[in-house]
Amino acid sequence: MPELELFLQTLIAGFLLGGLYGLIALGMALIMGVMRVINLAHGDFMMIAMYIAYWLFTLFEIDPYLSVFVAAPALFLFGLAIQKYLLTPVMKVESILPHNLVILTVGLAMVFSNLATVFFTGDYRSTPVSYASNAWYLTDYWPDSPIELSLSMPWTLSFVIAVIITIALWIFLTKTDTGKSIRATSQDHDAALLMGVNVNRVRMVTFGIGMILVAAAGCLFIPIYYLYPALGRQFTNVGFVITVIGGMGSTDGAIIGGLILGIFESMTATYIGMGWAPAGRFAIFVAALVFLPGGVASILRKRRLGK
Amino acid sequence: MKKFLPLIIFAALCLVPLMDLSSYVMHILILVLMWSVIGMAWNILGGYTGQVSFGHAAFFGFGAYTAGLLYYHLEISAWWGIPGCVIILTALSLVVGYICLRLRGAYFALATLALGEICRVATENLVDFTQGNLGIMLRERTWVDKTWYFYIILLIAAGTYVLIKVVMESKLGYYFVAIREDQDAAESLGIDTTFYKTISLCLSGVLTGIAGAFFMNYMGYIDPGVVFPLYDISITIVMVVMVGGAATYWGPIVGAVIMVFLAEEIRSIPYIGAAHMTIFGVILILIILFLPNGIVGDFRKLMKPFKRKREATS
Amino acid sequence: MKRLSIFVAITFIIGLSSLNVYAQDTLKLGIPLPLTGTNAKFGEIEKKSYEIAKDEINAMGGIKGKKVVLEFEDSQGKPEVARSIVERLIDVKKQPVVFGEYSSSCSKAIAAVAEERKVPYLVVTGATDDITQQGYKYVFRMNPTNAYYATGFMSFLNTVVKPKTIAILYESSDFGTSGAEDMVHQAKKAGMQVLLKEQYEKGAVDFRPILSKVKSVRPDVIYMVSYVMDAALLMRQIKELRIDAKLYAGGAAGFAIPEFVQNAKEASELVMTATLWSPQIAYPGAKEFAEKYKRLYKDYPSYHGAEAYSALYIIKDVLTRAKSWKANDIRAAFKATNLTTAFGPIRFEDKAGYTNQNFMDTLVMQVIKGKHQTIWPQKYASAQYVYPIPKWRERR
Repeated sequence: MPELELFLQTLIAGFLLGGLYGLIALGMALIMGVMRVINLAHGDFMMIAMYIAYWLFTLFEIDPYLSVFVAAPALFLFGLAIQKYLLTPVMKVESILPHNLVILTVGLAMVFSNLATVFFTGDYRSTPVSYASNAWYLTDYWPDSPIELSLSMPWTLSFVIAVIITIALWIFLTKTDTGKSIRATSQDHDAALLMGVNVNRVRMVTFGIGMILVAAAGCLFIPIYYLYPALGRQFTNVGFVITVIGGMGSTDGAIIGGLILGIFESMTATYIGMGWAPAGRFAIFVAALVFLPGGVASILRKRRLGK
Repeated sequence: MKKFLPLIIFAALCLVPLMDLSSYVMHILILVLMWSVIGMAWNILGGYTGQVSFGHAAFFGFGAYTAGLLYYHLEISAWWGIPGCVIILTALSLVVGYICLRLRGAYFALATLALGEICRVATENLVDFTQGNLGIMLRERTWVDKTWYFYIILLIAAGTYVLIKVVMESKLGYYFVAIREDQDAAESLGIDTTFYKTISLCLSGVLTGIAGAFFMNYMGYIDPGVVFPLYDISITIVMVVMVGGAATYWGPIVGAVIMVFLAEEIRSIPYIGAAHMTIFGVILILIILFLPNGIVGDFRKLMKPFKRKREATS
Repeated sequence: MKRLSIFVAITFIIGLSSLNVYAQDTLKLGIPLPLTGTNAKFGEIEKKSYEIAKDEINAMGGIKGKKVVLEFEDSQGKPEVARSIVERLIDVKKQPVVFGEYSSSCSKAIAAVAEERKVPYLVVTGATDDITQQGYKYVFRMNPTNAYYATGFMSFLNTVVKPKTIAILYESSDFGTSGAEDMVHQAKKAGMQVLLKEQYEKGAVDFRPILSKVKSVRPDVIYMVSYVMDAALLMRQIKELRIDAKLYAGGAAGFAIPEFVQNAKEASELVMTATLWSPQIAYPGAKEFAEKYKRLYKDYPSYHGAEAYSALYIIKDVLTRAKSWKANDIRAAFKATNLTTAFGPIRFEDKAGYTNQNFMDTLVMQVIKGKHQTIWPQKYASAQYVYPIPKWRERR
């Protein structure tokens, strides 16, 4: 049954990957929804979190999963500072091209990744935890199984934690006042203002939450991958591809979009060829932009309103 | 006096090769001129028509590969790439335009970014056709001495400058700016925005492609990582124009001068050299914060602190 | 604009100031290397090795009595930058001979410039075959090309393993592409069927889809041409997916450096790789160099380090023997080279379609108990090879 095994294994890989991708995209989607800015430095914030996790592991032997508790607050504060001193002033400036905010984030991305190269050198780093290549095997539990499937331990752990964080975020957004303010601002900025929402504070908090999410994503990624200064780029790409597929500013869209992208990339890698995977990612991105500009969220919205 | 300034500068540049400068200095000047061309080309679409593209590397790379593949597969001189560009890049621009021009603002920027990356990956993977990452190398370059390259790129740059001036002072230019300022209003006035945006894109694309073809001939070696990369080409173009001043005639040129000099000079300094991207990033951030219209665009703002000092002393 | 003319004037001045006036007793040599960018690790290894060689040579009196001073220039791994560095070395600093660079694309770009300017260039690490297949008269290569990387490995396969099928995975760089192409040739010659040949982009996060595909075709040998992090990730995921093959092998580069073992941990055990050199090899000066490097930098150097170290010795030899330091005399000295270095024997031959190419035996290493050991050809071996290898489930 090698074809079935191949398909299932690819599907599982795509699913796990998608869950993690979704976490990265969640942060970006939130920020995009509230601040209407595409943060092209998103992946570089993640890189910073990963370096924090790396140094905690190398110097103090703290497991990367625990580093979240250090990296997340650190990045939260850092993000707030950036938001207050760099992003907000630019939003008010008058200029010929309104794209200044995006270009500013590009500048930030360059500075972060280059400073990391200068301070940490371009060396690849990893956190080789003892359980790095451990996995659960189907045949260990079902010896007569016709196919062999494996579930990598760190991947699964990261996926589960990502799910927990996503659920926590969902509860925060739907049940708390701050969360509701955030969603309101995201839907209609001016209406929220009229309703008495402190939009500036909401912006700050949202950016901070976005940072927490991306810090968590980084700590969850480092045991299964590795770290180098220019890493931010590819994850920023992943982030905005998913936000477009999912729908700008939609958190549900980000999660579903993440899963779609993860599975799509896995399937492309297996059945078309791995060399095309990055192109595949962008192809689906352009297709989504052109054919489904509102993303998956627009489909969900139609369903909801349709009822 | 101001009217003749461009002519004076052009004449001065014509005389440069006669000054017997070192080959290295000539190289820098050629790079400055090439980046000016690319910057000016981008400016048509980005600065004047308001469609910010993060994927101009696609046009640059296509131009370089047109020249390179003509050489590699048909064994004709790579200089044929330049006329070849006009056809191929127009075709590419039409395709890109069809896909992307319906998108607005940041969506357009991202879509062009994506297309630039797709071009890169496709070129890497279609190894049989493009040689992938093995690259294309000219067996021998046309001239060892840099003089003729300098004149060719000077001609291209001057031509681009004149073309832009003519276009922007014509009705076409007004349409572009109208689209930039408020696309919906322009549409409601009866301007076919899609048509004019496409023209803008084609002009921009073809000129960038010509620069790419020149690059192939001048450098003698290209591969997808050299001509299609996101940060080194696409984003650098944006930086050049933003730093110099979008929607100005001289902005891209000033930007090119600054960026090329900074790149070359900073790189040579032992410890700071590695940090040159940081310095670029910081410059970009500062420009966005304080001089959002670039050095040329916000020239008056830039000169303010100097004027105040003069007043204080008098 | 006045500013433009000021800039031109400044350039002029800076350009003039970069002219290097030769001090009487020192020989300044500029070496382009990727000190930043993705290949920075290898650039670092080579830089450190060049410096070890320089200190030794200076302690012995320098080159023709002049003290050697090395100036490293960062090419960032980009061919255009490498080219511009070398153009400056040749045109402005008037360096009589050029050497250095790590990647094939940069070496290619430099070779073109050197040939054009008629200045001899010694290729140290760039491995794609075409660099010395152009008939260039001024370009000399000391390291074996991609086509020859795997000769030692193939001899092992043909003698010991005798596999029928092979799967090839390679990164999309020129190194990966040419390494894979050459393995395809070699496989055909040896009568092996290539079941799969897949390219991937460096930095991929998840190889499991493609590895599952490899698993489904059940090859005898899995051959990978990768740099270190991909190599480590590949082996880790192979272990995780429990893909059992008769042999896992790498095409040098990432598989041949200690970081591979550090990052892949148990997954790297018993993995073999083609390599050009190892710290245990019996060439004169090899062990001493390896131990010296280890004492200074805590790890053994990779073959890239040995290449760099020996390159400086070759330059010393050539510059000492040359009748003068004019380009053609240096070129003649290169052609007459017959030197044994820590990297191996060096002779530049015109053979099999290559010009000025050095041909050497290549080796096979295997990770045994967490350390790289040379296992083949047996005359160079430092340990007995382990074959057949146990299945993943049976390990531990």
